[in-house]
Amino acid sequence: METLLQGFLQYIINSLQWGSFYALIAVGYTLVYGVLLLINFAHGDIFMVGAYIAFFISSMLITYLGGMAGGWTLVALAVPLTMLLTACVGVTLERVAYRPLRRKGAHRLYVVITALMCGLILENGNLALLGASRKKFPEMVDTIVLSIGGASITNLKLLVIFAAVAVFLFLHWIVTKTKLGMAMRAVSFDKFAVPLMGIPLNTVIVFTFILGSGFAGLAGLLFAMSYPILEPYMGALIGWKAFIAAVVGGIGDIRGAFIGGFLLAFIEIGVASVLPSSFRDLFAFSILLVILWIKPTGLFGVAKTTKI
Amino acid sequence: MLLSIENLYVKYGNIEALHGISFHVNEGEIVTLIGANGAGKSTTLNSIMRLPPPEAPRVISGDIKFRGQSILNVEPHDVVAKLNLALAPEGRRIFGNLTVMENLTLATYARKNDPDTEIKRDLDRIFDLFPRLAERKTQRSESLSGGEQQMLAVGRAIMTKCDMLLLDEPSMGLAPLLMYEMFRTLKQINQEDGLTIVVVEQNAKVALSLAHRGYVLDTGEIVASGAADELANDPEVKKAYLGG
Repeated sequence: METLLQGFLQYIINSLQWGSFYALIAVGYTLVYGVLLLINFAHGDIFMVGAYIAFFISSMLITYLGGMAGGWTLVALAVPLTMLLTACVGVTLERVAYRPLRRKGAHRLYVVITALMCGLILENGNLALLGASRKKFPEMVDTIVLSIGGASITNLKLLVIFAAVAVFLFLHWIVTKTKLGMAMRAVSFDKFAVPLMGIPLNTVIVFTFILGSGFAGLAGLLFAMSYPILEPYMGALIGWKAFIAAVVGGIGDIRGAFIGGFLLAFIEIGVASVLPSSFRDLFAFSILLVILWIKPTGLFGVAKTTKI
Repeated sequence: MLLSIENLYVKYGNIEALHGISFHVNEGEIVTLIGANGAGKSTTLNSIMRLPPPEAPRVISGDIKFRGQSILNVEPHDVVAKLNLALAPEGRRIFGNLTVMENLTLATYARKNDPDTEIKRDLDRIFDLFPRLAERKTQRSESLSGGEQQMLAVGRAIMTKCDMLLLDEPSMGLAPLLMYEMFRTLKQINQEDGLTIVVVEQNAKVALSLAHRGYVLDTGEIVASGAADELANDPEVKKAYLGG
């Protein structure tokens, strides 16, 4: 009996951790979709770039500050730096790839294809620059294993879950209390009237990319700290999964991205705990398929009204 | 002269929508553009606001001047933020997923240098003009009635702090009583706050009763103009737009 409870607790902890990763990435898909109606297929690779940026920043911090500052101080420095630089990558993509197409009034299909290509460019650019060998992410903090009711949780897992909750609350504050956040919601409802409020559309779009890419960078750092092997294709599968999570939650809706991310993790890990792990993705995606079959707009999606 | 349109030709794709129209608006005036569907009324307003295609057409020749300066190269958000023009567009286009208060707050986006007391004063003025908006402050705006949505569209435009307010068919879809109330309020805003107003209307009768001067648009050309009461008594205009 006790082992069953332990197993269940462990299941919840692991699902929360993976759900947090999915949610942090899914929210980037959902924000950009809400504002531009663009599925930014490069987003999974922005997560990968974020992990590499985190790798370089962490290595540098350890080299220059490792003797003086404690591990958590380094993490506290790495978080904003990684988020900032990853946000720059996202904004650069917007500027050089998406905006020119938008300005020329290109059909959405072409922008989506461009996003796919940008993702491939990021992957292969990484491959060309850094080679195919995997990178080992440096250890900044010692892993501490805590025990809750017999289930184990590491300080890193706690950090990941905490980060997802904090990002959710932060975003909620942004879209309800700040004018730029309100503008994001306004754009998702009706782009037409936004300039009539004296608001430059491009400012709203850039801000959206800053948020989405910043959180992907945060996810990259946390992921690399938890699973410290980096390779150029690490963003592909997790990116797809996060995208599917966003769609199942109702793409365009922030709550949907989080619920979808956690739902995917709970299903995945649940399947893996009763069936051989080779069945995991098959079952997980079949269940998601059924959800979409019942509710094609996703859990929080409403057909053609509010998007964020 | 606050606004002058000089021999303006515009095109949507290959279709010419305005064939060289000219008119002007003086400070403190209410001017109306009347005409049937497809006459080019909304096209004119969207051109003035410099909205990007597909909403507004390409300017082929002619000029739009505000305070004597050509505004053809001004970005749409700067037309609002820097030149202080505002438009309550056709179909209201309020942000239905935002509350009434959020719609009004969003309109103050570009007023970063204005003290909070001034913004508060303007907000109180809107609630004073449209008390029903005050009652519905925290409601999602898509739940408002058509008349209330139109009040919000006008209130939102004024909250951007405008020197000239453009209104595109403010009477559309309103019950007669509400429509008269709306036009009375517009007159009040013009008289008490000195706001210059350009109103585009299909309902020529009400528009001419509100305005000081008017222009009659027909398939992209101005076919008549003059003081509002003269236009209202002009036999041609009467026959074509006022139902005889």
